[in-house]
Amino acid sequence: MAGSGHAPLREDLDVLLSVRDLEVEFPVGKGAVVHAVSSISFDVAEGETLGIVGESGCGKSTVAKSIIRLNDIKGGTVDYQGHDLARLKGEELRRLRPDLQMIFQDPISSLNPRRKIRQVISEGLAVWGAERGSWSQSRIEELMLSVGIDPKFGDRRAHQFSGGQCQRIGIARALALDPKVLICDEPVSALDVSVQAQVLNLLEDMKKRYGLTLLFISHDLSVVKNVSDRIIVMYLGKACEIGNANELYEHPRHPYTRALLAAVPEPAPTVDVSEGDISGELPSPINPPVGCRFNTRCSHATEVCFTEEPAMQRVGDSDHYFACHHPVAVSINA
Amino acid sequence: MAGAHVAQAQLSVRDLTVRFPTGRGTVQAVNGVTFDLARGASLGIVGESGSGKSVTAKTLMNLLPRTAEVSGDVIFEGEDVRQLAEQGREHFWGVKMTMVFQDPMTSLNPVKKCGEQIAETLRYHLKRAKKTALAEAEDLLAQVGIPEPGKRVDQYPHELSGGLRQRVVIAMALACEPSLLIADEPTTAVDVTVQKHLLDLLDTLRRDRGMSMILITHDLGVARGRCDEIAVMYAGRLVERAAPQTLFGDSRHPYTDALLRSIPRIDQPSHTRLEPIPGRPPELINPPEQCAYAPRCRFAQADCLESIPQISGVAGMHEFACFHPANTDRGREALAANLALGRTAAGLEITGSGGSS
Amino acid sequence: MSDADANDGTSAVEPVTIDDGMVDDGMVDHAVGKKLGVGFWIAVGWLGVLVATVLFAPYLPFNDPDKLAAGPARTGPSLDNWVGTAALGRDGLARAGSGARGALGGGVRAERAAGPARTGPSLDNWFGTDALGRDVFARTVYGARVSLVVGFIAIAFGMVVGGSLGLVAGYFRGRVDQVISFVFFTLLSFPGLILALLITSTFDRTLRTVSLTLGVLAVAPVGRLARAATLVFAEREFVQAARVIGAKHFRIMTRELLPVVLIPMAALALLGMGVAIVAEGGLAFLQLSVEDISWGVIINDGRGIRDLQENPHVALMPIGVMFLTILALNFAGDRVREYFDVRETAF
Repeated sequence: MAGSGHAPLREDLDVLLSVRDLEVEFPVGKGAVVHAVSSISFDVAEGETLGIVGESGCGKSTVAKSIIRLNDIKGGTVDYQGHDLARLKGEELRRLRPDLQMIFQDPISSLNPRRKIRQVISEGLAVWGAERGSWSQSRIEELMLSVGIDPKFGDRRAHQFSGGQCQRIGIARALALDPKVLICDEPVSALDVSVQAQVLNLLEDMKKRYGLTLLFISHDLSVVKNVSDRIIVMYLGKACEIGNANELYEHPRHPYTRALLAAVPEPAPTVDVSEGDISGELPSPINPPVGCRFNTRCSHATEVCFTEEPAMQRVGDSDHYFACHHPVAVSINA
Repeated sequence: MAGAHVAQAQLSVRDLTVRFPTGRGTVQAVNGVTFDLARGASLGIVGESGSGKSVTAKTLMNLLPRTAEVSGDVIFEGEDVRQLAEQGREHFWGVKMTMVFQDPMTSLNPVKKCGEQIAETLRYHLKRAKKTALAEAEDLLAQVGIPEPGKRVDQYPHELSGGLRQRVVIAMALACEPSLLIADEPTTAVDVTVQKHLLDLLDTLRRDRGMSMILITHDLGVARGRCDEIAVMYAGRLVERAAPQTLFGDSRHPYTDALLRSIPRIDQPSHTRLEPIPGRPPELINPPEQCAYAPRCRFAQADCLESIPQISGVAGMHEFACFHPANTDRGREALAANLALGRTAAGLEITGSGGSS
Repeated sequence: MSDADANDGTSAVEPVTIDDGMVDDGMVDHAVGKKLGVGFWIAVGWLGVLVATVLFAPYLPFNDPDKLAAGPARTGPSLDNWVGTAALGRDGLARAGSGARGALGGGVRAERAAGPARTGPSLDNWFGTDALGRDVFARTVYGARVSLVVGFIAIAFGMVVGGSLGLVAGYFRGRVDQVISFVFFTLLSFPGLILALLITSTFDRTLRTVSLTLGVLAVAPVGRLARAATLVFAEREFVQAARVIGAKHFRIMTRELLPVVLIPMAALALLGMGVAIVAEGGLAFLQLSVEDISWGVIINDGRGIRDLQENPHVALMPIGVMFLTILALNFAGDRVREYFDVRETAF
């Protein structure tokens, strides 16, 4: 069984989206494949915000795009209200699409440069017609108002707006279909710092207002913590640690989580700054290390880390799971 | 450290103004920027895109396009930098003053081996012989913490990771032992763990070599831990300048104050409501004669819309450009008055929650 | 999630998010300082004048291009070739024009049409006359009809067929792309001039045949451009967004991709029209183009060694007009490309 295991899957909750052993590979020619995501399992409860954090190449965006089926999935299941999104195809998949919407990283590139923003926002309603709410001028205007874009600018095109405004337009487009799940892939990393908070607050407001479940992907640990109820830390296609946002940042167990928290410019007070000095380079995802994937850079690594993949284990009976043979500050009551 | 006096300043910038004429009007990219940098000190210039921080750096490096209209003085170690450009002194930039860019590939030639590229710098500026230059290049790669430097000299930039590439660029910048290094968002394109390594490296190199550094970044956190002094820029102007502890603990300019409040902090519990700055940075084409931040400012009063506040305060200690500074009585009065009205003089609607009190 | 909830929520939205004033005066325009330029408008002006002249030629006080056409087309056996062909080869637009011309010019033709042969440019004959005493200016104007129509139809055919194929190839990729790209390569490898020669010598030499032959040749270049542009834009997040919304392939291709791919294609179309006009001239030079007056035909008339030495105006005047037209097309195309490229790179 690959490292993560099913420990972090919850049964007692109103789970909306359940991902089991998700595996995604990309061919890179000559028969080689990039193991972008390897056997990751997690679930998202209704109304929850799940953050996925990690450095570039960890597979966090691939997880998001796989759930929303912009990538093909090699293995595992993605259960959404009794449908396995990993297996759905064609019209069946298309019918479910409105339920899961996405906010993209590059706000300007995510809007068609040739179309008026009113058309962009109403595209979903134009595609689905009466099936997903009525297409009306007032509905579009209401959406524009709720994301803070004055409807009188509806006839302008994307290049006439700033990055922050474009991101609001992207949010309005996603909300037009009345989705259940909103996947946000680095939604603020292309924005100026003084505008990031506006968009983060807007997402929080929209979540409350429309009863959304959020999947929030970011490389920024502070941003992820701010919006998330629960956080997954990913490294090289695997989950290292999953848990309640506050608990995870206060008592990080996995050496990689600790390294991340220590490496940010203003490190979390719970870790020692020196832990941020992880050595070496990220191994190739074509040939990931055997055993624990972090073993090439981990200062705690012993023999077992190179032979045996650590399984996800729970910290006491709290909502906190990690996959490490030598967790920091061991106090497992399992 | 911080309180550098003008007399011993290594770099002294006076009233630097940069304008770019465009089809739609003149872009006022940098407006009257004045600062000093002591030998061996590090200054962080923090601002958003369009704040003028990168244009300032490019002016120092003589990298502006010819259309730019520059005025003001830049004196470096007693020499007028802007005149050097006219005299064609190409062995100044890259030797005494060098720069590291955000994207290492802008500085690296993709079809040349890393070692050769560093050696070329040495041969061009310092007239080293080919063999010595290559040996020195390997040595430099070792100094910037690149493992197996002997192997890396023969590799092409695309064979290296982003972090290593940036190290090669730093090695290249250090080749001629500069006395000032300007780093323009050197870690924006890399991951946090790599960022930490690079910033640690720059710190060590600076201390070991007694080099001064200007670190340009949009990330207040990066500047905080790495600089003796931080200058905040907004809309082409320097709006506040102080040592990090002062700036973060007792900020005066409402922009700095609001920026610090709007950024999520890692030690805050999740779902802490952020206090965003309303609106967005202003256009730099034909801006009105008023405080550029006034339209977004919770403290804005009538006088903020009538003239542009000049930067003042104790030189080298804490300077700021504001009529109603935050965390002062004047600021508190202004805010209280605005809260009572429900709106600022610039017409921004504000409520009791958030903001400085 | 109900409408009622949504309405209640409106008031809860952060006031900070709405900022009329700033949005209003602070609109970002990435096209700042980018203009099409005077040159572009001169080029467009030239093309406009040309098209207008061609359209209204029958109503303008120009000389008759056929000189002796007053009589029935096939009068003198020596003139059979020229005048006769003019009557036969007309088709579509050109024929309508010729009808109008006949109706209007019928009466006056006898007096003013025939000038002395091979005179240089004068007030009566602006571009001089050719070996048969026909007015070169009038022939150039009427020749423009065929040349422009050929250029337009050829490139329109290339745009529709090549553009659709390229869009489909770039959007679906994989197998579909391989097949379509193979078709493009085959077309590109086929010697174009020989194909054109084969068709016009095997079939007829009507405007339709010539235009479509050149149109087939335009399919591959236009298609490859459309494919390349689609490949680039299909990666953009706005296309992914359309998929996530649940738009069908056809809708994504027509609503999202076509509008953005059309711009580089339009630039190419202008350039391609120039190429098609030159190609038609080439065919005419080999006497394999439309059996009517086209620029190629007129130039061909003036190409004899003696003509070129003694009366270069017969060939040079139409060549000059053709040159200016193609220059204008190329220039306009290039400016369009440059103008929009800059915008696109902003995304």
